[in-house]
Order: sequence, then structure tokens, then C-alpha cells
Amino acid sequence: MIRHIVRKEFTDLLRDGRFRWCAAIVGVLLLVSLGSGLVETRRAEAAHTAARETARDHWESQGEKNPHSAAHYGIYAFKPRLPLSFLDQGVDPYTGTSVWLEAHRQNDFLMRPAQDATAGQRLGALTAAQVLQYLVPLLIILLAFGALAGEREQGTLRQLLATGISRRDLALGKAFGVAGALALLLIPAAIVGSAAITLGSPGPAATPFARGTVLAAGYLAYFAVFVALSLAVSAWVRSARTALVALLGVWVLNGLVAPRVAVDLSKSLHPTPSAVEFARTMEREISTGVPGIERPDRDETTARLLAEHGVETVDDLPLNAVGVYLQESEEFANQIFDRNYGALWNRFERQGVVHEALSVAAPLLAVRTLSMGLAGTDVEQHRHFATAAEEYRRDLMRRMNGDLAENSRAGETYLATEDTWAQVPPFQYDAPSLGWVLQNRALSLAMLGLWLVGAFLVAGSLVRRAEVA
Amino acid sequence: MSTEAVLDTPATGEAPPIPVRAAELEDPILEARSLVKRYGDIEAVAGLDLSIQPGEVYCLLGPNGAGKTTTIHLFLGFIEPDSGRVRVSGFDVAQNALDARRRLAYVPEQVMLYRNLSGLENLQYFAALGGRETLSSERLTEILVDVGLPLPAVGRRVAEYSKGMRQKVGIAIAVAKDAEALLLDEPTSGLDPKASREFSELIETLRGRGVAVLMATHDLFRAKESGTRIGIMRHGRLVTELSTGEIGHADLERIYLDHMQE
Repeated sequence: MIRHIVRKEFTDLLRDGRFRWCAAIVGVLLLVSLGSGLVETRRAEAAHTAARETARDHWESQGEKNPHSAAHYGIYAFKPRLPLSFLDQGVDPYTGTSVWLEAHRQNDFLMRPAQDATAGQRLGALTAAQVLQYLVPLLIILLAFGALAGEREQGTLRQLLATGISRRDLALGKAFGVAGALALLLIPAAIVGSAAITLGSPGPAATPFARGTVLAAGYLAYFAVFVALSLAVSAWVRSARTALVALLGVWVLNGLVAPRVAVDLSKSLHPTPSAVEFARTMEREISTGVPGIERPDRDETTARLLAEHGVETVDDLPLNAVGVYLQESEEFANQIFDRNYGALWNRFERQGVVHEALSVAAPLLAVRTLSMGLAGTDVEQHRHFATAAEEYRRDLMRRMNGDLAENSRAGETYLATEDTWAQVPPFQYDAPSLGWVLQNRALSLAMLGLWLVGAFLVAGSLVRRAEVA
Repeated sequence: MSTEAVLDTPATGEAPPIPVRAAELEDPILEARSLVKRYGDIEAVAGLDLSIQPGEVYCLLGPNGAGKTTTIHLFLGFIEPDSGRVRVSGFDVAQNALDARRRLAYVPEQVMLYRNLSGLENLQYFAALGGRETLSSERLTEILVDVGLPLPAVGRRVAEYSKGMRQKVGIAIAVAKDAEALLLDEPTSGLDPKASREFSELIETLRGRGVAVLMATHDLFRAKESGTRIGIMRHGRLVTELSTGEIGHADLERIYLDHMQE
């Protein structure tokens, strides 16, 4: 029974010029965004690879130099692009994907509000994720708003039900009919996406297809929510026009209002300092220290070393006190960085929880967070990378200051050779596993599941009670 | 329209499984007992008792708002009665609406079809939903042509059809279903006199096959021609019942007008 309805809906939609135009526009946008995302990702990855090699080459060939000067010379660390990042750029455009690692400073990307872009701004740069999150639901609404209201308005609903089919079968047939029409768009896009993952897997992620499968399932659940909502509204209201207006209202709330409200609410509940304010605070704390984190004193360090080694002058020390002092200064600064960045990251994390929790009011928030997570472009994975880069920077500083302390003496001009630079291992970064991502995105997954079950329960209830005429 | 051709060829395909019925086969196919349906203060149907046996064509006459269409919708289970009971082939419509509908065919006053599909595709769709999915395209085309749709129109999209052509497809849908009972709500609306006459012949043939027919109509002539019994409704009540064999056209018109003027 249901297959007859599916076939008829599919045929009817294919012959509908409005559907053909809408589907063609969305399809072209989807394929173009996939293609441009892939090209951009590969271009960026190629640029990163070239820059990484150049930066390493510069590091290794910087010639004879004092290790502390080399520490200031610094090196770049690049965030590897995960294979799915071409689908969803996430926060990368706001945070950047490279960081300059140098002495005394934890340079970072968090000075700009990463997730604060409005829906309008987000739509400005069209990505495949945006097509899937905004335009496909709109297409579903256009396909399904008249599913029952239109049949009722035209008078075909009573003829359909007079055949002896149940409302449930009719609604399921309609839902699968819409799904079939959508498949015409999504299957080619999925093929292009899979090919892109296969051909353009530059990153280190070992499980791009597993991530892709979960991502596809997430988006399918999101689309199913819209199909169910469209059926529910179409069964509930009297006319197709009212159904369309109501569903467009849902789309606006979901896509435009809820994200803005989520940003504003999460910021008001867990405010973050402005970039200038944050930088000034760190500068002040580094210059003065804070209770419990005292700024090291060069004379005290020297006196302690003299006492430890039982000698009278720095010339008698078996190491260079300056190198030890510089490392102590680094460790002091690291504590200040940890204190400030830790607080900032925690606030971002709490904002993220508010964001995810608000997806109870808008499924977009859930699917968007999940999408960024699986694409490897969310705040949490940025933090994961930033932490790894910072650990590398600290190790680099430790090596440079250690070399200075061990291989030079007070008052002498010490120049380390290129062998010293070559001994510093290049920055290696392993992206988090799928399990790590899913654990972090458990709330979004739960919310999406809740929406799916809830939308179908509501649709089932309203379809059962739908008036015939 | 060749009524015999429509009905002589038995429709192939398996009918849906028939659950155990609450009544015996000799019982009326269509039955209403003390049926009441109110819309606010208005009683659209007020204590209607109706019983239509196999092979009987019952015509409901009455002005607009008399309760004819409401009665048909109650038989279809589209609306719930405030009190009373409706049965179709022994199935209580309130409890087994789907089983009841599977034994009914229905032709509304305005047959509405899917504009992007052809007449044949519409018939295929409705026939399949009605449990006749195995009917071949050839057989369905035959039915469409036999109810008066021109052969060249069979494959054309319904968007190009006139109201009368759509009505003929609606009748074809009812014929293809091969149901035990037929509910007709002003079925000849939009049909030209020739097609109306052919429709009467079709009803006569269906009656001969034991189909119970309930037809709501304003058309006194068609009621006299096609009906075996006539019920005149006014303000939701059945004010009189007549056997068409016992009265002439003029008598029917006089009786009808008398009741309308009361």
C-alpha cells in the first residue's frame, strides 16, 4: 500500500515544475559548495604543507645563533585539515588553522569570538553544511507542506481515505515520497562527498568514512525531523497556505532566531572578556605576577644556584644561570597562560553546553554542533590542537633554555649550531578519535534523537486526528 | 458507455482479506440506526434509520443542507456520529472504519484528481489503494473507456480534463474497486445528458450484481430512473420513503415539493 503512495508522490513531484526548479537550485548549490569546499580544503592543505616545510627549513637553517634568539625566532604549527572539513568549516575561519610558537608568549586564535557569527553572516560563506542545514529543510517544507492540508483542500483526501487506506499509511507514504525525491539530490551529493573523502584525504584521521557515516546519519535524522514536522503541521492546519506559512515560521525560528538567541544567551550566562581586555589582563599578570604565582627574580635564581652548587660566583657554576632563569620565566608565564586560557576555555565550554542544551528548541543547533564536531572544526577540537601546539612550544622553549644553560657560561657569547635546531622534532599532531568526538557531542546526539522521536510522535498523533474535509 | 462491458469482465486481483464480520451476509449492506450528527445547535442528521439491502439503489433526495452529504460522510467514517450507529457489511464504522471503507466505493460531487498524473495513472493509483493493484493497464483503460472517457484522453494529464471527464474517472475508480456498496454524492454533476443516461445504466448493472447503492441527489428524474427506493430528507430527518415502482415521475415531483413546502 505504502509503496503505491511513495511511487505516486515521487512521480507527482518529478512532474511538478516548482519542485524541479527548487531541487535544481539546491542541488547545484550543494554540489558547488561541496566542490568549492574540497578545492579550498586541498588548496589550504597544500599551502600548509608548503608553509610547514618552509618553516621547518627556516628553523633548521637559521645558522649559528643563541638558543634564546632561536626561541624568539620561533616556528609555525599548522592544524591538519581532517578529510570532512571541506563539508563544514566550523569555527576555523574565525580561529585560524596555524599558530606562531615563540618564546614568552602563548599566541592563540581565541582573541576573536569564534562562534558569534550571526546566521546571516554564516549564510554569506556558503558551505555544504549550510546548504544541508538551511536549504534542504526549506526544500523539505516546500515538498511536504501540502502533504495532507493540500489533499484536504483539493478534495482528494476524502477520496484517498475512502479507498480504505489508513491515515498512518498515507502519511508514511508521503514521508517516503518526499524522502525519495530528496534522495535524487542527496545521493549524487553523497557520491561526490565520498569521492572527495577518498581522493582528498590529506589529514591524519584514520576513520574518515566512519565519521562520514555518522555525519550522514545525523543529517538524515535532521531531515527526518523536518519531514515529520511538515506532516504534523500539514495534518493540523486547515489550508495548505497556512501550513506553508507556519512551517516557514518554524524554519525562521530554527535557522535564524534560535542560533542568535543561543549565542546571546550563552554569552550573557557565561561572558567572555574582549580580546583587548584578555590581552591586557595577561600582560599585567605577567609583568606583576598574581598571588600564588610569583614572578621569578634573576638575582634570587642566581643566589639559589650558587647555594645549590656551593660556589661563590656565577663563573664557577657548572651551568649558565641565565638559561635557568629564562626557563623559570617561561614556567611562570605558562602558569599565567594556563590560568587565563584555562578560564577562557572553560567559559567557552560552558557556552557550548548552553548552546547544545538550547537545541531542545531548535534541531539546527544540535546538528550544527554535531556536524562541526565530526568535521573536526569545532571549538573543542580547536582546543585539542591548541593544547598540543602549546605543549610543543613549551618543549621547544625547554630545549632552547636547557641548551643555553648546559652549553654556555655566564658572560660568554654562545652560539648554538644547526645541529641543535635539527634535534628539535617537528610538530606532530594526532586529531582526536571518533569516540572522543562522539563523547563530546553526546548532548547534541541526544537532542537530535529527542527531536526525531518527538517529531514523529507529534506527527503520528496529529495525522491520526486529521480532519478529512 | 457500455455498461455490460464494464461489468461483464470480472476484475482480476485478490481482494483484501476479510476479517470476521459481526453480521450474516443476508443482513443489509448499508445500515444506519438512530443516527444523529450535530454541528453546534444544528442537527445535520436527526435520528436517521436506513437499511439498504444488496441489489438495492436507495436515492436520498432533499434540498441543500438536508443532511444527505453528512449521511454519506457518516457511512464513510469521515465524521463521528453524536449518537446512533452506522454499519457497512456488518462492520461498525465507528470501530472498524478501515474494514468498512474497504467494502465501499465512493464518488463525490466533485471528483478531484492529481493534475500531474494521467487519467489512467489516477485510476491505477486509486485502484491499487483500494486493493486492486493487480488490475492491468489494459483492463483499467477498458474501464475508463467504458465509462465514457475518450481513448485519446486516457493517457493525458488530468490538468487538461473537463469536470465531466474527471467525474467519469471518479466513476471508473468506483467500478474498478468492485465494492459491495457504492456511495454516490451527486455523481452525475457535470455529466452531459448522454453520460448521465449511461451512468444510470451502469447503476442498473451494478444493482443486478448485488451491489447496494446509496445515492444523494437533487435530480428527481435520475432518482426515479435509477433508484429502487427513494428517501426524502429535510432538516436531517427522513420525512418519507417511497418505492420507485409505485410512483410516477409526476407523483415524485409533487410529493417532493409538498414536503419542501411544509
